[in-house]
Amino acid sequence: MDSSAHLAIDRLTKVYERGQVVALKDLSFAVDKGEFLVVIGLSGSGKSTLLRCINRLIEPTSGRIRFEDLELTRLPSSQMRRARRGMGMVFQHFNLVMRSTVLTNVLTGRLGYTPVWRSMVGWFSKADHDLAMRSLERVGLEEKAYVRADELSGGQQQRVGIARALMQQPKLLLVDEPVSALDPATSNSIMQYFEEVNREDGVTVLTSLHFLSLARRFGTRIIALKDGMMVFDGLPSEIDNDRFQEIYGEDAEEVEVR
Amino acid sequence: MDQQPGAPKRTEGYLSHDVRALLKRRAMSFLLDWIVWGYIAFAVMFFLNHYWYTWIPGHWYDTLTLPPWGWFLTILATLELAVVCRNTGRTLGMRAFGLNLRSASGQRIPWGRRLLRIGVWQVSVPLAFVGFWIDPSRPLHDRAAGTALLPAEQARADLEEDSPNTEEEVREPEKRALTTQWGVMSLFLFGLTFWLGWLIIEANLTALMSRADKAGDLFRKIARPDFRYFIREDPIFTLRRGSYAILDLMVLTLLMTLLSTVIGTAIAFPLSFFGARNLMGFHPIGIAIYTIVRGFFNIFRAIETLLWATIFAVWVGWGSPFAGVLALTIHTVAALGKLFSEQVEGIEAGPVEAVRAAGGNFLQVIRYAIIPQVMPAYWAFTLYRWDINVRMSTVIALVGAGGVGTLLFYYKNEGMWSIVGAVVIAIVAVVWIMDYVSGWLREKIVR
Repeated sequence: MDSSAHLAIDRLTKVYERGQVVALKDLSFAVDKGEFLVVIGLSGSGKSTLLRCINRLIEPTSGRIRFEDLELTRLPSSQMRRARRGMGMVFQHFNLVMRSTVLTNVLTGRLGYTPVWRSMVGWFSKADHDLAMRSLERVGLEEKAYVRADELSGGQQQRVGIARALMQQPKLLLVDEPVSALDPATSNSIMQYFEEVNREDGVTVLTSLHFLSLARRFGTRIIALKDGMMVFDGLPSEIDNDRFQEIYGEDAEEVEVR
Repeated sequence: MDQQPGAPKRTEGYLSHDVRALLKRRAMSFLLDWIVWGYIAFAVMFFLNHYWYTWIPGHWYDTLTLPPWGWFLTILATLELAVVCRNTGRTLGMRAFGLNLRSASGQRIPWGRRLLRIGVWQVSVPLAFVGFWIDPSRPLHDRAAGTALLPAEQARADLEEDSPNTEEEVREPEKRALTTQWGVMSLFLFGLTFWLGWLIIEANLTALMSRADKAGDLFRKIARPDFRYFIREDPIFTLRRGSYAILDLMVLTLLMTLLSTVIGTAIAFPLSFFGARNLMGFHPIGIAIYTIVRGFFNIFRAIETLLWATIFAVWVGWGSPFAGVLALTIHTVAALGKLFSEQVEGIEAGPVEAVRAAGGNFLQVIRYAIIPQVMPAYWAFTLYRWDINVRMSTVIALVGAGGVGTLLFYYKNEGMWSIVGAVVIAIVAVVWIMDYVSGWLREKIVR
């Protein structure tokens, strides 16, 4: 296994349902610091499973994952929780608590750093509050801080999701289909936030995407999965029509999203 | 996620996992159909017995009983009826366990072949399941008729070896329930059960009509309530060496129910998270905790509050309000615990995932991902529980749990129905006011 990489995945396998479904098969790759890595593939090709195996929201069946100096797959659960602080996650369906305010949702990203007793009474430090407001400013939602999450539009909700992930001051962002629940125009602006975080803060971004056009535009490198196996690993420019059909099947046609 | 084409099939013994699952479904669905016909046979016997007496003159038997050969005949007849039904349409059992009878070609199965399938079944199953010996996934009666009993999600029978494997699922539109055999059968069984129930509970509309005057007398007295002891104490009535007016005990009842609701909720709240399947996971320890907590809820909920009240009245003293509080609290914990747990089981999993991804632990998941989601329902259930407790407290006074119900039963026993009327009006008024208050609270607190 490459020991210099930021994130290294070695022979990762995930089998679901008592051995009936293999979601990931012997997957190995390494990610360097500062990369914007896009994972593409059909629905069910294992993209979400891969992302969730990295922060062990889903327990891998076998294989090893190393993040910085930590061998994640060997960590006991308490240390794994600690390790998750360095890995922010953004979700396809935003995963906000709709009845809570935007600020509370954003502060949730800080839970890994907050002592349990303080979080139980909802007492976040002044520094956390300031950080939350700064995160909200970054995604342009500072005036929505005290509004309930369900009063926001889809794009705004995803921006809250991003602000929440930024609260962790992560070194790695795991992003699961961030724009597939959004319209094309909003998709582009959401992707730009990830680009900004990647360029300005040097945060490594690992995102799954449905649309190849977005992957080409934002990715510095693309990985393609098919039936849980890697079928492509390279630069966005290297995906030509033949590669495309190999990944998405022969009948597929590329859809442009701007 | 769908079954991946390249996924290995796990085999156990000589039957693959899929075949065993299918056989289990076949057996269960058949059993259900058989039970349905057994139930109908029972109903027929019941009706014969019932109407034999009342309608048929010169009844020859007192009760109709089955001779031994009758039992044998019934078992055979119900079996055959089930088989015939399973070959003429989609039965309740087939629907419940998701099975469909299909022909190899995907066309309608002609009646001749259905008949053939019934015929071959008579050999294939009763003779030690001989039909299943060669190929358990496709028994002889299916081979003979060119059919297959398949899971409903499998759209086409791929019976010929070279038939193309249909890649995507073709969903057939679900038929309207009442055009299917199972739909008609469900309706019939519902009607049958209602009819049976009507006879078994000894419903007697004639008595209800002809003897209305006896109850009317009571009604008239209650409807002329006598409020003389509403604020003034009744000099004759004593409870634990004290005298009380209706209003005194009404206030006491409100306090009793307030205390038991608050204490009960405080206990049920933390317990409810341990009684939720999705939080306890699939770890053996989690399952054990879940089972114990849910078992506790079920047992304590199933035991009547009246019984708890009796026990506590003996324990802490007859007529003591504390006995009532204890009894109501126990039932509140069990009932609310179950309702709360079910709320937790129904939450959106997304926020839980988000808190875990941020490094949150179990308590933080509960505090930040679950409690915000379940709070409206928790408030609604708690307020409704208070309402239930007020009404229940009047009943358990019968066995000495104190409160305003004591007066209800005292004046009833004394035959002072007008004062009973006053107590009833006081209770109704309180329940009514509480309904308004809790509705208002729900609106204010819970958004």
